[in-house]
Amino acid sequence: MAAASRGAEKAPAGITVVTAQQPAPNRSAGIGLRSPHVAEVAATRPQLGFIEVHAENYMVDTVALDRLLNLRRDYPVSVHGVALSLGSAEELDCVHLGRFKALIERIEPMLVSEHLAWSAIGGVYLNDLLPLPYTEESLHLFCRHVEAVQEEIGRRLLIENPASYLRYHHSSIPEAEFLAEVVRRTGCGILCDVNNIYVAARNFGFDPIAYLDALPNEAIGEIHLAGHHAAENVTILIDDHGSRVAEPVWTLHAAALQRFGPVPALIEWDTNLPALEILLDEARQAQELTDACCYVDTA
Amino acid sequence: MQLSQAVLGGDTAEIGAAVRGDGLDPAARIGIYRNHASATLGASLQGTFPVICRLVDERFFAYAAHEYLREHPPHSRCLVEYGADFADFLADFEPCKALPYLADVARFEWALNIAASVREAAPLPPQVLAEVPTNEAACVALRLQPSLSYVSSPWPIDAIWQANQENEVPLVDLASGGARLEVRRVGDSVGWLRLEPATLAFRTALADGLVLAAAMAAAALQDPAFNLAAAVQNIFAEGLAVAYCLSSDREILETRLVDLARKEAP
Repeated sequence: MAAASRGAEKAPAGITVVTAQQPAPNRSAGIGLRSPHVAEVAATRPQLGFIEVHAENYMVDTVALDRLLNLRRDYPVSVHGVALSLGSAEELDCVHLGRFKALIERIEPMLVSEHLAWSAIGGVYLNDLLPLPYTEESLHLFCRHVEAVQEEIGRRLLIENPASYLRYHHSSIPEAEFLAEVVRRTGCGILCDVNNIYVAARNFGFDPIAYLDALPNEAIGEIHLAGHHAAENVTILIDDHGSRVAEPVWTLHAAALQRFGPVPALIEWDTNLPALEILLDEARQAQELTDACCYVDTA
Repeated sequence: MQLSQAVLGGDTAEIGAAVRGDGLDPAARIGIYRNHASATLGASLQGTFPVICRLVDERFFAYAAHEYLREHPPHSRCLVEYGADFADFLADFEPCKALPYLADVARFEWALNIAASVREAAPLPPQVLAEVPTNEAACVALRLQPSLSYVSSPWPIDAIWQANQENEVPLVDLASGGARLEVRRVGDSVGWLRLEPATLAFRTALADGLVLAAAMAAAALQDPAFNLAAAVQNIFAEGLAVAYCLSSDREILETRLVDLARKEAP
């Protein structure tokens, strides 16, 4: 059964894979930790598979880093970079890469990820994940940047598919194929953002399932889930990380889990940040879906 | 490059030609990225300067933040470092001229942010000064707590800030005089002290890397009766000094000055 393939393959011979009657052994769902929730997480230590932080919020050596290192004793941490600007046409920023590396050495995270996007040019940081054209030339350059980062940090990087609102005339490679080729050439993994796939599929009218099918299953190291909203005045969905995960995104997530197996899934919420309890509830739902999709009774 | 300029508010025509419409004006597609960059950087500034936002209201703050972003886009990719010159921008921002205290309140908020972020260093015990030969004492430079800032204003900026922590903002007497403030972290909390003019001059000089003799000279300009021994004693009693060196040791001093420069942009 495809749904249990990953768990079944990993189980030693003769050992029954976890069944529907037995809950999954490990929690694999986590939340993106934002500063207003840090104190409550530290005080209540909720059950979570992992926490994820934006690298750039902890690169400056402050008391915030002390608090994160304290949580690191109890939670696996995923470090999610948002500003390496791997998709830039110019060289990587060595200073920023050095800070990225230093943080990873301090935290020793379970996962390290970045984006298929660019966000800085000519020394100016735009604080947005901007789209790059998908061409042979940009593929070559993007791979060179991924290799440079992996070389520097001595670890595999996961690359996240972006939410997108525009495409270039001169793009010649479909995004999922572009990502698959980056994986093949650099050995990196993929952070599959299911909400981003849904948003882009709606915005550009492609089939999200076909996108999932074009990704190399074995490369998926993490899944992101988040809310989105419909833009005013234009027929476009915006990935704003500002609400609960939408129903069709949960459905797409189930399809992703059936292909990729029980990879860690993360709830991202950045705007209109709710009470921690809401985030934990979303993470519980993600966990239940993982358990239902990946730990079925194979007997 | 064209997309980056369009995101910062520039012309979208050139980059628009490279963008597929897919049923929508390319300018509207670019506008989504522009709005996101502007909104998130504006929110970051609002988080750093909540009292400024309250003083001018959210809509005006968003406008000022947008103008600041266009003129001073971030160079660091860590947003905790964004906004160091926002106070200088406000000081020159024509629409804010009616609020002459605004830039100084922003300087105070930036100092509070530094103190909230930067951890406290172990204070230097006063005994270490005994190691200094008497004839070199005037050449001692002290490194002060990294969370420390000095903010001086002709306006009661601390009272303005305090009043804006309340739901119902009480009246602040703007004629009540200026404030000379020392802002720092102590343990887990952030606080500030009002200083006398001579003490402010003395401590600011030390924070700028000047030696005791030069700091004393700066203080004496404010108060000819300034007591150096008592002032140094207070620096140690308040745990402000974290390291010292003799200015004759040029290399150590230069290292120290580099560290101080870093303190200003945590």
